Parts: sequence; structure tokens; C-alpha cells
Amino acid sequence: MVDVIVLIKQMPDLEQVKIDSNTREPIVKNVPKTVEILSEHAVEEAVRLKEKYKGKVTAILLGNEQSSAIMKKAFAIGADEGIIIDGYEEHNPANTARVLASKIKEIKHDLVILGNQSADSITGLIPGMLSALLNEPLLGNAGKIEVTGTNVKVTRILEEDNIEIEVPMPSIVSISQEINEPRLPPVMQIMAAGRKPIKTEKIAPVISKGVTLVSNSAPRSERKKLVFEDMDKGIPEVVKVLKEGMK
Amino acid sequence: MNLVSVLVLAGIIIAVFAFFYKLYEILWDAVKIPLKKPRMKLDLGRRIYILIRNVFLQGKLFKDPFAGIMHALMFWGFIVFGAYSIDFFYVTIFAHQLFSPGILSDIIFFTVNIFAGIVIADVIYAAVRRWGLKIKRYQGFNGFEAAFILVLIGLLMFTYLVMSVLDMQGLLGGYTFVVRSGAPHYLEPISYALTYVIPKAPSSYVYYIFWSAFWIHALDFMVFLIYIPRSKHLHLFAAPFNVLFSTGTQATPLPIDFEKETRFGATDIRDFTWKDYFDFYSCTECGRCTDNCPANMTGKTLSPRDIIWDIRETVMAQGKEYRKNRENPDEVFKTVIGDPILEKDLWSCTTCMACVEQCPVMIDHVPKIIDMRRSLVLNQGKAPKESLDLFRNIESYASPYAIDPSTRGDWAENLDVVDLSKNPDANYDVLYWVGCVASYDRRNQDIAKSVTKILKKAGVNFAILGSMEKCTGDPARRTGNEYLADMMIRQNVETFKEKKIHKVITACPHCFNSLKNEYKEYGVELEVYHHSEYINRLISDKKISVKALTSDSSEKYTYHDSCYLGRYNKIYDAPREIIGSFTENFQEMEKNKSKALCCGAGGGRLWMQETEGTMVSHKRIEMADKINASTVVTACPYCMTMLDDARKTTNREDKMNIQDLSEVIAKRLE
Repeated sequence: MVDVIVLIKQMPDLEQVKIDSNTREPIVKNVPKTVEILSEHAVEEAVRLKEKYKGKVTAILLGNEQSSAIMKKAFAIGADEGIIIDGYEEHNPANTARVLASKIKEIKHDLVILGNQSADSITGLIPGMLSALLNEPLLGNAGKIEVTGTNVKVTRILEEDNIEIEVPMPSIVSISQEINEPRLPPVMQIMAAGRKPIKTEKIAPVISKGVTLVSNSAPRSERKKLVFEDMDKGIPEVVKVLKEGMK
Repeated sequence: MNLVSVLVLAGIIIAVFAFFYKLYEILWDAVKIPLKKPRMKLDLGRRIYILIRNVFLQGKLFKDPFAGIMHALMFWGFIVFGAYSIDFFYVTIFAHQLFSPGILSDIIFFTVNIFAGIVIADVIYAAVRRWGLKIKRYQGFNGFEAAFILVLIGLLMFTYLVMSVLDMQGLLGGYTFVVRSGAPHYLEPISYALTYVIPKAPSSYVYYIFWSAFWIHALDFMVFLIYIPRSKHLHLFAAPFNVLFSTGTQATPLPIDFEKETRFGATDIRDFTWKDYFDFYSCTECGRCTDNCPANMTGKTLSPRDIIWDIRETVMAQGKEYRKNRENPDEVFKTVIGDPILEKDLWSCTTCMACVEQCPVMIDHVPKIIDMRRSLVLNQGKAPKESLDLFRNIESYASPYAIDPSTRGDWAENLDVVDLSKNPDANYDVLYWVGCVASYDRRNQDIAKSVTKILKKAGVNFAILGSMEKCTGDPARRTGNEYLADMMIRQNVETFKEKKIHKVITACPHCFNSLKNEYKEYGVELEVYHHSEYINRLISDKKISVKALTSDSSEKYTYHDSCYLGRYNKIYDAPREIIGSFTENFQEMEKNKSKALCCGAGGGRLWMQETEGTMVSHKRIEMADKINASTVVTACPYCMTMLDDARKTTNREDKMNIQDLSEVIAKRLE
């Protein structure tokens, strides 16, 4: 038996984010929210562990009412319970970790699984902060998770070699994308997921301390947008342009 | 009644009983096992037409003329011998003829006599084809059954001739057992000719010769009746019905009601329709399907024949078991996917319909393959990795590409095209449905631009849906993800209804087929034209004029048929007429029109890797190269993508161009 909490992050669909040409700020208004890709792998891994060792998978998501579609995706993959924490809209990893940790403490668990970093903000801070707040060991960048009795054994994928570590549960495991290939849920599970209740818990906004978002803008790229259609003439032209650019 | 009559009567009763008992068993299976219902409309005119064309005239068999003539003669011989055989047994049992001498009887006996000679020659020809010429598609399949039936047929004809010749030589002294004993010579020309070749047997042998011939003849017929429904030759009886019952809508997969159904697609033999059972019963392993399968041709293990045959064998075995053990259907019926049908074979199919087109008995292979894909995707979430990306993209971006859908209409920037997503109240007569590939793929955007140029030149008042256009659902549907396809179709139908769109042009045959044939079931009637039809009409109506190719030009054009335009929608002439409007420098490739070779991209294969065997597209490019074509004209963005890629990867960039019909015309507008 292994009870898993899996943390899901939602983020704006990066393919659909446009950059304001004047301010260079990303326009995220009206951009549909999507599940952060590593979160999907995390849910998949949690469900695989459940299928292998039995137990329960609880998914937690910071979002709002519109996030239910993302939670249903987790249900379709096989999550048993889903909690949406509604009301937290900050860009402060420390507070994010606090909100998550306070929720996780309420739930009996053996493992907390989450992505090692998210594709939009790429801070990679949450796993470590959770580890500190919950006082549970962190196994980072996992490519494989096994449970042996009351211990969890993780293969960490590093640049040149893999390391196996074993720690007693409960513990926190952050995963890398290589860990699995998220499944395509069968239709019956998708339909059943649609009918499953989602717990939504409102929280009061947390006051941010210490971190201020100063600016969020895309670097200016000055593309010359030159198109060379004729292959033969084009190459010398490209060389010429490149030489000029180096000066 | 004498002893012979009694024995023959007893024999024929046993044979007829054995025959009908087996028919009863397989019909019971077809009625009791399948859970799904086929699309059936009365459609009497079409049914009579195909029955005459494809059964009595053996129409589809002549797609392979050498085999066609062999089979047609055998079939016609079978029909006339049917009438004769009834008379033979009637005479034997009741000692007088059923068809008393007269014009009907004259016709029957004349044709029987002629056909006896023809069929014997035909049996030899068939044997030579299979064991002498070793025609590839026959090899390795039930050789015994083929040989046995040829022996039965040959012996039946031979013994008939023996009796007939003996009679004509006046050696029988009026045995009643010979039908039309003492018939005029002109009614039995073959036998008459044989009397010149074959010397009269000594009278002491006549008794033995005659009775041997007689009993072999009678027993042969009985064995035939017992054996037929228990062998692949069941097709003799199943195929005419299969043709009669053909739905005519086989290219459109059956709809799924996700609210009600719980078993999706085809997993075991319960998940087919009774019409599918007729398909299985009708297969005689002729192999035309596999012979024409682009996947099989390029070294993949997919064989449409084996798929049909494997399910047939499963039906026969599990049907038998189910008749004994009706309490536990879940124990009896086991999945056919994995064993005997390989998953990878299901994914190799390009849904090109070459197998269906070729099948003389109108078996629908493709819908079954799609149904098995559905089983994998919808019940188990199993699909090739690339398809998972395809599904994800369609779901998130309404196209197979992970590209922001708000940029869908960007190709038309600065072209002064009415975009209904930006200008919802604009006036227009025709909607130009661009499709995902022409909207997003750099090479194929030229098709969209060319279509625009032509329509503008012709003064057609048209609009595009821009970011409101979504994938028609075709790639999802063909890869078995009906759930996703259903979602996309509903969204588009909503748009069509809301915008009151009626008339549509598209340059993509996949979109064309979906919109024209498949959206009906979702409650929207559209008048849809493929750009080949539309441009052809613009040319013939003189709305646009096309500059002719100069006579000294060394350009040579050929046309590559798109499956979804050709076999799916029978549009073969319009594209050729368009090319004919500016040049006569045109040559057909090997395999064209209804026999055309697929580009390899249909059925969602455009978004999958082709790792087994060689590339279908390379084979096609080689065919184009063989006739030294300088321009291969396509009419489909999928074909464009595949062939343009094949041209580059096989180092033919310098000598060959791939151009869409719209591009060759847009360039030549005057």
C-alpha cells in the first residue's frame, strides 16, 4: 500500500501566449490554461504506483473554478481524489510551497510526487521548499520510483550517471520527464472522470513577503526577416549579411 | 423406383441436409453473435445494379483481367450446371426429365455442353496459374482446398462428357440416367466433336465405364454440396448475398453513441455486424486486397486478406464453442487483437481503400481495421506514440500541429481574403475550407494562396473561417479516436449552423470527404466541392483562362490520384481535365485511378513514422520517375507532403517537381 499525493500545476498554454510588441510583456489574458507537462507525468507515475502497490492517489491543484477540466484529466488517468485550492494567485514560490504544505499536512500520505520544475516559470524551488516545510526527505529528478516495504527507492537521472537512493517514507519525489509516457485514458475513464466530484477549497489570499515581480518581458529580438529564395545567389548573400552583422 | 434411384435419393437427401445444416450454423452465428448493427437502407435500385454488375456479370473480377475471365467462365458454368444438375437428379430419381424437351431445355443443354468443354479448359488454366505460373497472391494459402475444388469441378465436367459421348455413340441403349438421352447432335456440339476423337469403347466395357462415370458424377455433386459450406468455397453462396447487402457507406466508420455504448470499436467477434459476418464468409483468400495494399507492397506485414481470414477462422471456432456454451460468452469470445491480428498491422493501414476497391465480393476491410484501432484507443488508450501527440494537438489546438489556433488564417495576410473570424458580418457566396495542413504547413500554404488567386481571378465571392476553422476530425477518426473526432465534428457543425454555411470548397480531399459524406450524420447538409471539380468548372465555364503550354516544352506531367478523392469519392476525371486544359504532355503512371497507389499518409499515417519496410511514397515517386515525369500533379496536401518529401530524400529534386492542381493553374492564369 502506498498513498500518493500528486501536485498538479496549471499554466497558460505557452504555444498561445503572444508577446505585446510595445511592452514586450506576455499577453496571458484569454490564453487557455493547460496542465503543465511534467505534472501530467507526475500523475501518470502516481497512478502507476497505485496500480502496482495499491493505495490512493490524491491530486492537488492551485487554481480556480475553470481548473476542473485539468483535474478531470488527472481523474481520467486514474487519480482517486482531487482538491482544487482556489484563491491563490501569486508568483512567489515560498508562498506557493506554504499553501501546498499546509494542505499536504492534512492528508495521510507516503509520497508526494511533483515535477522537478515547471515549464513556465522554471524556478525548481517548490520540491526543496516542501521538503523543508514538511520535514520529509526530497529525492530529486527521479527517473524511476520503486517502493520496498516502508522505503522508497528512486533512480535519479543525472547528467552522466544515474544514482539510486533509498529513504524511508513519507518523502517527496520530484520527477523528470523521462520517467514515463503519460497514457491516453480510455473513453470510459474520461466519461467517469467527468462525473467525479472535485473538492474545491477557497483560501484567503496570502500576503506576499519579500518577493516582488519587477518585470516580465521577452527580450527584444531584432530579426531582419530576410528571405533568400534563390539557392545559388542566396548563399553568398547570407555570407555577406552575416559578415556585416559581426561588425 | 429401382436401387440406383433409391441410393441417389438417399445420397442427395444427406448431402442437402449437410449443406443446409452448415448454412444454418453459420447463419445462426451471424444472427446471434454480433452486437452491432450495420447501416442498412433499402436502396433497391443500387442493390439490383450491383447484383447484376458484380455477381452475374462478375464486374469487379475483371480488374484483374486474366483471373477475371477464368473466374467468370467458372461462375457462368456453375450457373448453367446448376440447372442441369437439378435435372440430372430428377431424371435419376423419377425416371423422367424435369425440363421436357423444348426451347428452355435446348438452351440449358446446349450451354451445359459448351461449358463442360470451357470449364475443363478453365480448370487446367486455373491449375497452371496457381501451380505453374505460381502467381504470387495465391501462394501459401489453402492449396489443398483449391486443388480439391478444381478436381471436383473437373471430374463433374469430365464424367458428364463421358456419359454424353457414350450416349451419342449409341452405346447406352437408352439409359434413363442420362439427361436428354438421344438429344440432337447440334445441341451437344462438344460431345459431338469428341465422338470423332474418341473411338467407340468395346461393348463389354461400356457397362463399367458408364456406371463409373455415373457414380463419380453423382457422388461428386454430393461431396460438393457437403464440402462447399465447410471450406473457403463457402463464398459461392455467401458472396452473392454479401454483394446484395453491401451498405454503400463502408468508407464512413459507424457512429458511436458515447452516452449509451460501453464497448467501443471491435475487440472480439461480438463487436462486428451481421454484414461483417457475410464479409468473413465471402472471403475466398484470392488475395487481390493484399496484392494491392500499399503497406504490404512495401514490406510491411499488414495483409488485409489475413485480417479478414483470421477473423473468419475465429468466428468459425468461437461460433462453434458458443453454440455449445451459451452461458459464458465472456469465456468463449476472446480478443482478436494481438493474436491473431497484430497491433502493428492495424497501425500500418493508410485507409487507402485499395483492398475494398479490389475485392470482387465487396468485403469492407478498412472499416474493420478502423474499428479495431478504436478498440485499442478508446478502450485501452493504446496508440503509437506519435498519435498521442496528434490527439493532444487536435484537442488543444484544433489541428494536428502544436500551433496557436489564432494564427490559422495568417497565411492570408495581405491577400485581401474575407476572414469570418475577424469580419463576422461579411457577405460571401462560398466558403473556402482551407484545412489544417494548408493553413499551417509552409509548403502547403502555397496551395491555399493559389486557390485564393484562382477564386479571385474568377470573381468568386468567397470567405474563410480563419481561426474559427477546426480540424474536421478526420485524422482522429481514422486513427480510432472517435471520441476526439466526435468532439471536433460537433464543434464544426456548430459553426456551420451558426454561420448558415451551405456551399463549401476545399483543396483537401480528407476535409472534402468528411464534410461531404460524414457531416450529414451530425445534421448538417453541405454542398461541398473539391477544388479540382470547382476549378475544372471555372475553366469549362470560361471564368478563368489558362495559358497553354508551348508545344516545344519538354515538360511532362503526370497526375497522382488521392485516395480520398479517387476511391472514396470517385473523382478521377476532373483533375485530368484540368491538366488537359493546358497541355497534352501528360502520361499516366503505373497504377492510376481506382488502382492508384497511396502516398502513404492517409489514416493518420501522415503523423506517424514509417519504420517497417520501405516508404510507400518512395515507391510512388519511382513510378513517376519511370515515365520521366517532370511534374507530378497532386490534389491533396497529404500527397503533396509525402511526395515532396520523397522527391527530396530520393535525390530527385533536380528532375522532378510536385505541384498541386491549384498551383499549376494559378501559375498559368491569363
